[in-house]
Amino acid sequence: METEKLLGLALDIGEEMLISGAEVGRVEDSMRRILSTYAMQRVDVFTITSSIVVTVTDADGNTLTQTRRIRQYETDLDKLHALNDLSRRICAQRPSFAEIKGAIAEIVKSKPYPVPVQALAFAVIAGSFTLFFGGTFLDAAASALIGLLLKFVVLLLGRTGVNRVFANVIHSLFVSALAFLCTAVGFGAHPDSIIIGNIMLLIPGIGMTNAIRDVISGDIIAGILRFCEAVVIALAIAAGYSIAALLCGRWLP
Amino acid sequence: MTYAVQLITAFLGSLGFSVLFNVRRTKLLIAGFGGLLSWGVYLLLTLWLPEGPMLCFYASVCVSVYAEVFARVKKTPTTSFLVPGMIPLIPGGALYNTMQYAIAGNWEAFFPTAAYTLRVALALAAGIILVSSVMRMFAAVFHALRRTRANSSEK
Repeated sequence: METEKLLGLALDIGEEMLISGAEVGRVEDSMRRILSTYAMQRVDVFTITSSIVVTVTDADGNTLTQTRRIRQYETDLDKLHALNDLSRRICAQRPSFAEIKGAIAEIVKSKPYPVPVQALAFAVIAGSFTLFFGGTFLDAAASALIGLLLKFVVLLLGRTGVNRVFANVIHSLFVSALAFLCTAVGFGAHPDSIIIGNIMLLIPGIGMTNAIRDVISGDIIAGILRFCEAVVIALAIAAGYSIAALLCGRWLP
Repeated sequence: MTYAVQLITAFLGSLGFSVLFNVRRTKLLIAGFGGLLSWGVYLLLTLWLPEGPMLCFYASVCVSVYAEVFARVKKTPTTSFLVPGMIPLIPGGALYNTMQYAIAGNWEAFFPTAAYTLRVALALAAGIILVSSVMRMFAAVFHALRRTRANSSEK
């Protein structure tokens, strides 16, 4: 019974770490350490980006297995920091289960930056990358405006719980169509610079890099999963642009 | 001028992503400066070396060391500074262009762009892993040394 509780808590921590953007190796390592702290005879952890499987054998010889399925991630480096602190504290002090449970509940409650701040960050990122990739200041202004609006599109589409690939087609379609529209009325001159600034908000460049990192670290299945995911999302984004280019080529001067 | 604009926008871009990734307080500035550093190293090296994945590798090594150092100072996972610092280097634009060529059916342009994207991602990942492995090795040696010293003083 105690072992089952502990296993559940360790999985809660591992699951939250994975969702917050920890590497697979770190999640496995943290869970193994936490479980080993409480005198387990044997601990086996297997994690990929979408699932965690843990089997423990406790001091009395009882063997238990639990799994978790992870469906979506949301990079949250503050939460990851807190979870990391917690797992270190568990290993050093062996706190009671109730205490761990309270700490996890506290961490899960923590919030990201408020939506207006995030929308501003979208605008800053989009505008910055438009300049970075050689756009003019007017292009950057158009790009920032589109980035600001994009945040709300992302938010609203996210609430509907729609398929991720489809959502990305819509995001990119929205960005590209607005960029063509802006340049058509003279707000900015280079639609491609405006679009690439906003695309940087959507494209899984970090996912692609992490995929290769997982593969080199030996977590090959996790790496391949991440890689395929990045390719599919990137394809969706390119498709959104193509649809917008087709439509705007027909209707805009 | 273009260099200055690129450095400032690299900083702002990394700072923006740090906000989206929920990096808090002073760590936000450290994370943003990681982006400035990685792109600064990249630009500096273009003075002597041809542009390409190899430069990304050197820049990745620098920003990884930066992230490892500040992770220890701030007692936080390396990722907090590593991911934002990598932002200007990640092959986002190249990945996008690759898929663009795939959808347009332009296979002649697709293969070299896809290869470039992969090489950049590989270079960045290799830089990160090289630094973290070396750090882990040092930590292990350091611990072993301390243990032997503690043992010998007991006797």
